Amino acid sequence: MKLNRVGKAVAALGAVALAAGLAGCAAEAEDETLSIAFVMGAESDPFFQAMKLGAEQEAEAQGVELIWQGDPSNYSPETQIPIVDNVLAQDPDALVLIPTDPTALQATVTKAVEAGIVVANVDTRVGDLSDVLIFITGDNEDGGAKAADAIAGAIGYTDGESYQVVIGLTSPTATTNVARQEGFESTIASKYPGIQIVDVAYSESNPEKASTNVNNWLTKYPDLDGIFAIDGTNASGAAAALESNGLVGQVALVGYDAYPDNVAKIEAGIFTALIAQDPAAEARLAIRTLVEYLRNGTEPSESEVVIPNVTLDSNTSSDDLEKFTYVAN
Amino acid sequence: MSGDKQQTLNFEKLKMVLGNQNSILLLVLLALVIAFTIAEPKFFTVATAGNILTDWGSIVLLATGQTLVIISGGIDLSVGGTLAISGVTSAWMMAEVLGLGITTSGADAHGALVIGALTAVATGLLVGLTNAFLITKLRIVPFVATLSTMGATLGFAIIISDGMPIGGPNDFSLISPIMPGVIPFSWAVLAVIVVVSIVGLYLHKSRFGLHTYAIGSNSFAARAAGINVELHLTKVYGLAGALAGLAGFYVYLRLGAGSPSSGVMRELDAIAAVVIGGASLMGGVGRMIGTVLGALILFTVQSGLIMAGVAPDWKKVVVAVLIAAAVAAQTLRPENRKR
Repeated sequence: MKLNRVGKAVAALGAVALAAGLAGCAAEAEDETLSIAFVMGAESDPFFQAMKLGAEQEAEAQGVELIWQGDPSNYSPETQIPIVDNVLAQDPDALVLIPTDPTALQATVTKAVEAGIVVANVDTRVGDLSDVLIFITGDNEDGGAKAADAIAGAIGYTDGESYQVVIGLTSPTATTNVARQEGFESTIASKYPGIQIVDVAYSESNPEKASTNVNNWLTKYPDLDGIFAIDGTNASGAAAALESNGLVGQVALVGYDAYPDNVAKIEAGIFTALIAQDPAAEARLAIRTLVEYLRNGTEPSESEVVIPNVTLDSNTSSDDLEKFTYVAN
Repeated sequence: MSGDKQQTLNFEKLKMVLGNQNSILLLVLLALVIAFTIAEPKFFTVATAGNILTDWGSIVLLATGQTLVIISGGIDLSVGGTLAISGVTSAWMMAEVLGLGITTSGADAHGALVIGALTAVATGLLVGLTNAFLITKLRIVPFVATLSTMGATLGFAIIISDGMPIGGPNDFSLISPIMPGVIPFSWAVLAVIVVVSIVGLYLHKSRFGLHTYAIGSNSFAARAAGINVELHLTKVYGLAGALAGLAGFYVYLRLGAGSPSSGVMRELDAIAAVVIGGASLMGGVGRMIGTVLGALILFTVQSGLIMAGVAPDWKKVVVAVLIAAAVAAQTLRPENRKR
């Protein structure tokens, strides 16, 4: 405990010194290098690992300084707000924020704008966008719709026939899960009425549990036609379950998130298709837009940009497969 | 007169059987199987038994180590993290060092898998020995010591893997039932049964076990009796770590990949299995067979609820009730109430 208190004091002193130093620098060397702070959701998520690489590449290309921050593993406003506060104390020129909660982060955005910092939102948004220069996101509902099309194609859907499909989810509250599921279910209902979604289950972010769910489904529904694995974890678990049951190619599997290991399994024929987001493109566009605004005063032509999800399958060129694979440093 | 006597005798016998934790567990297991079979007839199949055993394999390895730790009066919260990091280092060794990918499969993968298994067990052993060092040398209580290694192992697993599963060589036939529809056991599950049996015999039939119970009952008395408590706890935590490492390799076999998120909350499943099996968190009490049955009950519930189509959220509630009931059954038994 004692050590902890001393440690905190040292850290606080250090932070004060750093802030003073930075303030001094900023006063002396105005508009030498622009600095852009980037506060994301959770470092452990491959989605943000891929986003980080895109941000770093674009920052280097534009010659700006990137301050990359975020909690190591908790996607929550409780951990994010203090991180944003600390980053704002460094007085960056702009802030790219992935708000972990639309309401809880609103005050932080207002505070940043009042301090003269330009704000962009990526992936998720605050409730009121009036202080935000640009909001860039992937379209998860559209991704779910694309997954429905991919499954229907793989099982050779014909009207009048009936098919059984299941959905592997992560948790009932994950917002991306909900949007993808809605897009999937509404597309099934309107375009493929013969497909019946017979069950859903949660993996709790654990690929082994995802695999368990699929094993049990294969026992309960021996005539199962397809599986929609709604994220990278479910995709890994479902692929393993099909392999160990020797059902690769017999049950259509559409996954989500282009982890390198999952992309390799498209080529091996284990995934019928993989829906991918493009987090690196979202980060690149955000930084480019901010730099143009700060340097030339150019406002973006649209204040909300949707970068569509893409379907990767055996027809996708190897260049595209490489381009959309989530890579980290 | 003699009829009365006979009746009393039968009643005493029944009381003895019901008072035994293992017979209670078997009855619970039987009741669950009957209930789930009524809800979904397909539950009563060899395929379901295979699914349950496959799930059981990883957690029973964690729970076996946890049983030793809990009997010694400690707790190991790091086993889930150890599972994750061992699976990741194992995959890293096969994919990055040996340079083999998912295209190496079947019997071609066996050589690499042996190296992967050794890597996983070595990683687990290292974490276990770190726990032992924190507990016996730095005198940190087990809960806090293993809480810190839990964080460190989960963190390192993400750092090594960039947060993404590392795919590598695999032979999925090792983790699939030997004869689908006839024999539900896979080679991997059989290997787990051998390992758990050996550790169980070690606990119940050797001086090692005797000392573990002694330390868990009263570590001062154990020390006074001449037991080297520090050395013994180092063995206990080291073994628990190595078993968690083996569990990490088992999960690698299941997934064909080392995944940093595969260990999240698994320590709680392991502790639940041990507690349902009748061990006391106060130390000095517990049987390996109870842990084995406890883990089996956990996964019978999991598979049963999925098969019966019960909303997944209910699983947590059912497991919670089982844990509470198991502990209550222990404390309400007459011989325990006297204390």
